Amino acid sequence: MRNRIVLAALSALTVVAATAGCGSSSGDAKSKTVTIAYQKFGAFIQLDQQLKDVKAEYEKAHPGYTVNLQPIEAAENDYYTKLSLMNRSPKSAPDVMYEDTFLVNTDIQAGFLAPIDDYLKNWPDWSQFTDAAKNAAKAQDGKTYGVPMGTDTRALWYNPALFKKAGIPVPWQPTNWNDILTAARTIKQKVPGVTPLNVYSGKGAGEGATMQGFEMLLYGTKNTLYDDASKKWVVSSPGFNDSLNFIKTIFDEKLAPKPQDALDPNWATTVSTQLLPQNKLAIDLDGSWINQTWVSTGQKPWPEWSKVLATAAMPTQNGEAPGKISMSGGWVLSVGSHAKDKKAAFDLVTTMLNRENTLKYDIGASQIAERNDVANDPRYLNSNPTLKFFTDLVQVTKFRPAYPVYPQISDAVQVAMESVMTGQAQPDAAAKTFADQARTAAGGDDKVMTAQ
Amino acid sequence: MTTATASRAARFGAYVPALLLLGVFFAGPLLWSVYSAFTNVALTGSSSIDFVGLANFRTMFHDRQFWNSLWLTLLFVVGSAVIGQNTLGLLIALLLKGRGKLARALVSGLVIAAWTVPETVAGFCWYSFLHTDGTLNAILHRVGFSQNWLYTTPMLAVILANVWRGTAFSMLVYQAALNDVPPELHEAASVDGASAWQRLRRVTLPLIRRSIVTNLMLITLQTLAAFGLIYVMTKGGPGTKSSTTPIYMYQESFQFYKLGYGTAMALVLLVIGAIFSLIYVRLIKVDDL
Amino acid sequence: MSAPVVAVSSRERTIAADLTSPRRGPSRIAVWIALVIIAIAFFLPFVWLIIASIQPGAALSAHISWHFSARNFKDVLNADTVYRPMLNSFIISAGTALITVAAAVLAAYPLSRYRSRFGRILMYSILFSTGLPITAVMVPVYTMYSQFELTDSVPALILFMAASSLPFAIWMMKNFMDGVPVSLEEAAWTDGAGWLRSLTRIVLPLMVPGLTVVFVFTFVLQWGNFFVPFILLQAPESQPASVTIYTFFSNYGQVAYGQLAAFAILYTAPVVLLYSAMSRVFGGAFSLTGAVKG
Repeated sequence: MRNRIVLAALSALTVVAATAGCGSSSGDAKSKTVTIAYQKFGAFIQLDQQLKDVKAEYEKAHPGYTVNLQPIEAAENDYYTKLSLMNRSPKSAPDVMYEDTFLVNTDIQAGFLAPIDDYLKNWPDWSQFTDAAKNAAKAQDGKTYGVPMGTDTRALWYNPALFKKAGIPVPWQPTNWNDILTAARTIKQKVPGVTPLNVYSGKGAGEGATMQGFEMLLYGTKNTLYDDASKKWVVSSPGFNDSLNFIKTIFDEKLAPKPQDALDPNWATTVSTQLLPQNKLAIDLDGSWINQTWVSTGQKPWPEWSKVLATAAMPTQNGEAPGKISMSGGWVLSVGSHAKDKKAAFDLVTTMLNRENTLKYDIGASQIAERNDVANDPRYLNSNPTLKFFTDLVQVTKFRPAYPVYPQISDAVQVAMESVMTGQAQPDAAAKTFADQARTAAGGDDKVMTAQ
Repeated sequence: MTTATASRAARFGAYVPALLLLGVFFAGPLLWSVYSAFTNVALTGSSSIDFVGLANFRTMFHDRQFWNSLWLTLLFVVGSAVIGQNTLGLLIALLLKGRGKLARALVSGLVIAAWTVPETVAGFCWYSFLHTDGTLNAILHRVGFSQNWLYTTPMLAVILANVWRGTAFSMLVYQAALNDVPPELHEAASVDGASAWQRLRRVTLPLIRRSIVTNLMLITLQTLAAFGLIYVMTKGGPGTKSSTTPIYMYQESFQFYKLGYGTAMALVLLVIGAIFSLIYVRLIKVDDL
Repeated sequence: MSAPVVAVSSRERTIAADLTSPRRGPSRIAVWIALVIIAIAFFLPFVWLIIASIQPGAALSAHISWHFSARNFKDVLNADTVYRPMLNSFIISAGTALITVAAAVLAAYPLSRYRSRFGRILMYSILFSTGLPITAVMVPVYTMYSQFELTDSVPALILFMAASSLPFAIWMMKNFMDGVPVSLEEAAWTDGAGWLRSLTRIVLPLMVPGLTVVFVFTFVLQWGNFFVPFILLQAPESQPASVTIYTFFSNYGQVAYGQLAAFAILYTAPVVLLYSAMSRVFGGAFSLTGAVKG
């Protein structure tokens, strides 16, 4: 009898031990294995496919080394969660990882990433990267923590046919915010049944509202969200209020979609798969990537997209130099701080991001090139009719102040947008609420400032 | 082997596998979670784990969004579990009692299908159902009533979705409980002139008291922690109109990386669950559970 | 007032049924109307799912385009999208359910047979723990797993999922077991049988419907579990369908509705079939009779 209990307990322990044994099958020559964690999700399989080739390339050039591919199949936010969890344990922390510029600074502060300036010094390709690109993964300590793979820019997509119906001359290039409002108002008057203008706004659209919506406005004014010199968050500024007023205007005058539609979390899908192809939307402030929806393998194949839609740069508020504005996100490949052989890890990064591989990746994943040699390559430029336009915007593009509290600041921006677009608050009140929320998020009065 | 030895062995031996599983895989993480509620541990963005005592709870106390989420959670639990699933489950069990095989199979089949559908799919079914272009509005269009219900009445939407999803459990519990009620008591009561309603109140309900308490306790605990359904349907929106505490917790822990703060909220939920359970036991006067 | 409590004939049972559920009259119509409304109300949310799965290029709207096609199903029915994840789901859910039932049966025995303070406290404390959102414990669990290099181990995942299913399973099992009179075992005890033998030879055979109920409940519950396998498993090939369903929400938030609907139906079918199969096999005994009493 007693034996049975002992037996049961022993077998349970054996199971646990056996599973522990099962797990550590990767216990071989650890120092000669380079692990790379990255996202593989839905239609985004380019990186996974390319890394398989890069793995072969690398292993041939570095005999004795093995590349361990660790794709994480998850949507954006879950990917960040999983990556953060992996990074918190030295045993599971990857040597190389696919980092969103949204998260780079946060991960740097958490101590997950290693600075690579020493290796970059000896990498000839680094001079090919634009200055903006070089700053993409630069921390506040001045060191660089990642190599950019590709980025995105944002601008105004518009429908010339609808413009012609409204009597607006095309090609159209607004020079200030007022031009946009005028065009939208004309369309509203002359072409009923069509939504004149879409600007992503509110919590439903998430970071899209902050980047494609608000920051495209704010960074076109003389103010920003963060002051690099004093390292403080700008929680109150005329530009902030003006941007909120713009949002209020377009929703009040019904130039923008109905709030109940615009606040739907899946609104972006509806815009790109229904409204634009069906000529129901005249102007869309959106990103360089949306044409991916319309390729033959996309969500909504639409071969005539480049004939139906045209692009125009987003103007600054009053036409101040340089006259155009864009925001960029983008992804980098970083080296983990727990990597045992950082040189080997860096070599994997440079293998994936050499000229040919970057070219292939940027074309396949609809990314905007951050390397001059790739950006000028005819294969790149000809792969897609709007590519040159969006690539040129890299000259004027700005990056988000993606520091650890940025998600909370961004959330507060979305809250402010939502309250003015639904009419729940006037812009001044919404701006004040934002200032309070941002101050709490940033951690106190000494971390924030007001700008003129 | 004497009964005494057998009982002693049983008392300790039989628990071993379960306790082993719970102890190894659950107790440790649970204790760490409780500890982390008193620290400022962050998912990323900071490498320090400092003990901050009750700071998280103090922040929570002043956090308007937290109180909002707590209120919404209570609304959700009371609306969808205590009132919704519980009553509807009992009602369906009563209605189906004595019905033919076909009726029982069809109705309970549909109710149970709603329960077996995985949470993400259920959330998406309701998302599409209530959407501006969805099934409900296709019907209501005729009477000119259509709108995006997820936008105008988000809490009502998620409450109804949860009722749809969880009623099966209550229905099964009550079907079983009603089966145990001796028919003679009903017969006797109606002979005495009691109406159906009075029979329900005076005879049936008191007899299934225990099942009511247990059912309420179980569905309350499950509903308190409900996350996936609401997240897929509204993501807590519009704004924070349907951000119950689990949703708010998720945002704080995984989108803003404030793990310590998020876990502190989870502890508060746990305490609330215990309070609910105590209330049920007292209210329905079950002497020995 | 007390009616004689004797064995009730079937005729008397019919009368009783009459009294609780009228066979004629306006109240009968009311009952039928109520049942029809309930049936429709429970069916409606499924409508979009069914329609969207058979429409190519489906959108969120429920408009039937009269252009039916099985393309969505064809698109998803391949090893990567459906077969392998469903197989993984099956292995994970079945493994979890088996271990849960085994451990729960053992733990329920002393709780049912030997009422002790310890047992009651144990029962209630682990029951209360189900009020904790799983997202709260996943971070320390992951840290622990990665420490022992158990991430990406399906057996280790199953053990954790079994642990998290135990509270509820033990509760249900205990109540089922209460329905098996101790007197049946006492005879075996006086014959010298140990508790394990009386459990396996006498109690378990009488509890088969109960065991199946707990098995199916655990299986169905874990079939829909997304977060735990997502966090604890590494390789995409080991992921169950509850995780891969998200692949239909592509990058930048674009959703493939038609395929999502087709996949959702395929993903839901097994658990619905399992449940109805079990009900058919066990008939009326496959219910919560005796499962939730307290």
